[in-house]
Amino acid sequence: MQQRTALQSFRYRWRKSLPFWLILPTIVVILIVQVYPAIYTGWLSLQEREPGGWLYVGTKNFDRLFAAGIFPESIGHTVVFLLGYTIFTLTLGFLIALLLKQNVRLSGLYITLLFIPWIIADVIAGLVFRLLVTPDYGLFSGILQNPALIPPNGLSVLTATRPAPWFGNFPFPPSPAMIYLILAASWRALPFVTLLILAALQTVPAEVIESARIDGATGFQLTRHITVPLILPAMVVALFNLIIGGMNGVGMVFSLTGGGPGTSTYVISYLLYVIGWGQLRFGRAAALALLIAFVNWILIFSILRMTRVNESRR
Amino acid sequence: MAKKNVHITRRDRNLKLVNIALLVVTLISILPIATTILISFKEQADITRKPPIIFPCDTPTKSFDITACRWAVEGYQRVFAPKPSETALLGFELTGNLIRIYIPNTIMYAFFTALLVMLLASFSGFAFSRYDFRGHNALLTAIYAVTGVPLLTNLLALYQMTINMRKNLPFYDDRMFLIFVYIGFFLPISVWITKGFFDAIPRELEESALIEGCSPIGALFRVTMPLATPGLISVFLLTFVNVWNEFIVAYLLINKNEFKPAMFGLYDFLSQNIINLQVLAAACIIIASPMVILFLFTRKTFFKAMVEGAVKG
Repeated sequence: MQQRTALQSFRYRWRKSLPFWLILPTIVVILIVQVYPAIYTGWLSLQEREPGGWLYVGTKNFDRLFAAGIFPESIGHTVVFLLGYTIFTLTLGFLIALLLKQNVRLSGLYITLLFIPWIIADVIAGLVFRLLVTPDYGLFSGILQNPALIPPNGLSVLTATRPAPWFGNFPFPPSPAMIYLILAASWRALPFVTLLILAALQTVPAEVIESARIDGATGFQLTRHITVPLILPAMVVALFNLIIGGMNGVGMVFSLTGGGPGTSTYVISYLLYVIGWGQLRFGRAAALALLIAFVNWILIFSILRMTRVNESRR
Repeated sequence: MAKKNVHITRRDRNLKLVNIALLVVTLISILPIATTILISFKEQADITRKPPIIFPCDTPTKSFDITACRWAVEGYQRVFAPKPSETALLGFELTGNLIRIYIPNTIMYAFFTALLVMLLASFSGFAFSRYDFRGHNALLTAIYAVTGVPLLTNLLALYQMTINMRKNLPFYDDRMFLIFVYIGFFLPISVWITKGFFDAIPRELEESALIEGCSPIGALFRVTMPLATPGLISVFLLTFVNVWNEFIVAYLLINKNEFKPAMFGLYDFLSQNIINLQVLAAACIIIASPMVILFLFTRKTFFKAMVEGAVKG
């Protein structure tokens, strides 16, 4: 039997541990940029800034956060925003995907043009929509602010106050600015959702549709009983992606409404920004950030479970 | 025979309806962009008119006259700020901060982030796709779970880190740290995407390379990576666009004017030009158009990474 030389044994060990070395850089980067900061935020949520350094205050940050009226209010705004945003985007995305699936002659061109909004940054999308309704000077402000068209005083989207809430303090009906924010956010997310649903639609086997048609199913019945159930997993994935994106995105609120008028478009991520970098209360911001992260994780793990279930089914 | 004809015409009519519906939807979704282009070519006097008009094409007698339109490039001029110069190629230099500082910065950040993300993701994607080791699935899940930490949550800590490092590390550079942070943010999803692409490449090709005497690393670089090139390019492009469009991270982590990327630079315009909407519109168009053009040329590649990323992760 041949004796292993040092070089050979080194090469053997190198090959054996190759996956470790391949993954190591990724793990190191993720540990520094994602894991350490998350842990640090957990620590920060129990601290308060003092002139001399950080002071341990226990759960005081959480107590103060819950005591502030803006916290439940912005949860209300977030719920309203997410409801409007997801329902609007999913419905429209589904309808457009159904249209695109018909494969008309120009669908390639339509798909390309429809997808341009997705490539535009959220900050720019916010600005683009802002330019349309800037008070007094916006392109459509002349029409919207005309009292003859919209009684009694015309509508200035970005400055009109919220109507009186119907259910206690829950911010519904939303302010015009919130509706406009939902519109702008949906405009940008629509291509993504449409593409996901279209991709799912194309995996629906033609034979299934064909046999249902032979059995006498009409167009609506086909959609309702065959297509929708088959693409439901894709819809759910799209929904969760929308919720996570909508809950964490801050760029559009930043450039479109700046949280205003008043606090009527303070969604939870914007509130986090304001508490952290506007008021420089990092402890309280960290407490809020943990709560948001917690909700995110629940969503992420449910996506993961769902996609796993799909894979095992395949 | 007659019945068949009826069927065909009905199908034709349906297709026509679909066509019209798609045309309307497309026009509506393009509308905000079209109006921004319109605003960017208006002149100051038309921007601040009361009541505002949509087309700057009215005359004292008529409300719309196509020959009387007053188009201007004032907005673009103020963004580019051209100054005559003897030495420059075209006889003038562009002195606007956006074109001189911010956009080159963005290109640098986006290019290096995308390159490194592509490289690191292909290493670990390859390992996850080809090897089965202890903790394989747990690690993959953990990498995915990390994407669940909201951006702003991490930024709280990263912001404190930059403050400390600026004070204590003499060689610290905002730009390098920003690229590092971007890599960390966009790597997890890219690992999943590249793993998906590698899974689709048959193992036999590598195995035969190994039998021929190729090392595993050599097989990765000479056999698997070339085959996965389309997928890796789509990861590169997706990351490039994501970094280009990213605002809040740079806004919070960069504190020097000469390091700002374009999205942060755009924010300058927002605060300086409350009334000069044409300048804002022009800046938006200038920043967004490279990505739109890039997208138009490579859309198939984009769609691939997008669907892969969304469904897998």
